[in-house]
Amino acid sequence: MRIILPIFAIMLTGSVSAQPNCNIYKMDNDLACYEACNKATEAETYQGTMESQRAFDEAIRLCPKLDYAYIEKSVPYLKRGDFVTWKKIIDQGVEINPRRNLGYRAWCRYQFIRDYQGAIKDFELLEKLNGSNLGYSQNGDYHLTIVKGLCYRGIGDNIRARAIIKAQLSVTNYSPMPFDYLHLGIIEFDLKNFDAAIENFQKSIAHSDYLADPYYYLALICKRQNSPTESKANMLKAKAYYSKGYVRKDSYTTPMDKVFLSDIEAHLVSSK
Amino acid sequence: MIIFITFIFYYKVFSQAPPNYPAQVGDIAFDAKLDDPAFKVCDDRNVQQYYSFGKGFQYNGDKPQLKREVLKQWKKLSDVNAMITIRFIVNCEGKSGRFRIQSMDDSYQLIVLSEKVNSQLIQLTRSLSGWIIGTNRERSFDYYQYLTFRVNNGNLIEITP
Repeated sequence: MRIILPIFAIMLTGSVSAQPNCNIYKMDNDLACYEACNKATEAETYQGTMESQRAFDEAIRLCPKLDYAYIEKSVPYLKRGDFVTWKKIIDQGVEINPRRNLGYRAWCRYQFIRDYQGAIKDFELLEKLNGSNLGYSQNGDYHLTIVKGLCYRGIGDNIRARAIIKAQLSVTNYSPMPFDYLHLGIIEFDLKNFDAAIENFQKSIAHSDYLADPYYYLALICKRQNSPTESKANMLKAKAYYSKGYVRKDSYTTPMDKVFLSDIEAHLVSSK
Repeated sequence: MIIFITFIFYYKVFSQAPPNYPAQVGDIAFDAKLDDPAFKVCDDRNVQQYYSFGKGFQYNGDKPQLKREVLKQWKKLSDVNAMITIRFIVNCEGKSGRFRIQSMDDSYQLIVLSEKVNSQLIQLTRSLSGWIIGTNRERSFDYYQYLTFRVNNGNLIEITP
């Protein structure tokens, strides 16, 4: 009998997409799909096991239109690096319900595979179907329009990335997510627009002062602007935040633009 | 005749063997033709996934150190354009073994690279020695890890996860 580490079992084997309301099928008197839906939602709780995969197969046999079963069946392949199998299975779920699943597939392409071009194609298809509001990433950290911008950054088009992110930040009633200003600051930094970069890092800090990253970049800018004392103060603050655990975390992949402790320490050594 | 046709129908529909899933998606069983018999898995029935510890990618010096070690040994892979994933086990002593390789193109289609390329990448992955032992509540676990190398014109572009 396998032991699933208890602390993270629920968090990491949990659903990747919102569970469907199976009662809808019951109300429509579609009892095969009702049974399939219940099987699939239960199977998701023991994700990755033989029994789970077989239960998804059974759910699909009972209700071939149940996109949720395909999506959930694909997840362990994604998390465990078998992207060929993942793609074959998730594509079937996307085909059944593109409006619900395209954004999620795009997010997976971005987060796990760094398939920026593929993700952009998915986002564009979704925009045609759903309009400009693409929804949010699976981990809740991003609006997917910001991720679309980051995909352009991934393929080296920082100008377009900046335009997309700035446009999203100016959408009425949009509440900035934790890393929006940080990424925009880094893009401005890479474009050598240091005043705009500083402005965005300060906004990032004002939005949530629980990250080492903006201080690291502020330190780099101060160094360029010949303010060594201020640079060192920011870099030391970045290091202190890092040691407190104020870092970007992802259980599955390394986040884009993540600053590492070794980056901070290398700059502290070089500025001695 | 009707009975015979009915039998054939039921045989076709219901007697198909279920897909042959491993106990866990991605399990790697020992293969004497491929694997080093000296590599020991501490508990073969309970190999975790790298993400089960909630700490992300666990390597001494983190991703930058891993990249440095890979780049130091990287030899241009002729004109290869592929995403090459090597999945393996990090045992409860932090040693790696049971390497398996899968390559795909930009359309997520399987491709087969030359034995030379596969062997070069497995050797490179085998040489990485900074894996952090997976622990929870002071107990050490074996775990599955993978590395994906995005290669463009033989050059290493990115390593994930």
